[in-house]
Amino acid sequence: MTKLAQWLCALALLGSAWAALALSPAGLQLPEPLRQALLPLPVYLLVSLGCFSLAAVGFRLATFNDCEEAAAELQEHIAMARADLRLRGLR
Amino acid sequence: QATATDRAVGFGLVAFSLVLFVYYTLWIIVLPFIDSDHSIHHYFLPREYAVIIPVVAGLLLLLFIGVFIMVVMWKSRKPARKSD
Repeated sequence: MTKLAQWLCALALLGSAWAALALSPAGLQLPEPLRQALLPLPVYLLVSLGCFSLAAVGFRLATFNDCEEAAAELQEHIAMARADLRLRGLR
Repeated sequence: QATATDRAVGFGLVAFSLVLFVYYTLWIIVLPFIDSDHSIHHYFLPREYAVIIPVVAGLLLLLFIGVFIMVVMWKSRKPARKSD
């Protein structure tokens, strides 16, 4: 089974579980605060996924160390490549 | 060591997403269990907005991405080939 099929199965399972509880077809009586908290759950999970992604990006941005020598070496490579191409006739 | 601006922006993002997550969690999950005459409810909008605001924001994001792709594709179209 492909990864996509696995993800879709998991999503379908969770989605049907949520629908069964939240839309209360056959008169399932959950306590009222629980139902109120359950109903926006998909949106809540999406928003928390977004928050987590934002935090991960921010953290990696803050902790990624500068590499001075690698930057200098890269600029050197660029200059050499430019000179080489100019030699071969590319403007 | 990352540059000072990088670190400031990065940790700022972490703090912002943390605040957002805590506020949203309180709003959606904790508030239904608190009596409706408690004063904490003053700090939160009516519950419908807890769904409307993220959905609208998501749609705006999709719109922005779509427009961006359109602009980039428009700019990169090549003129008709001239014969050599």
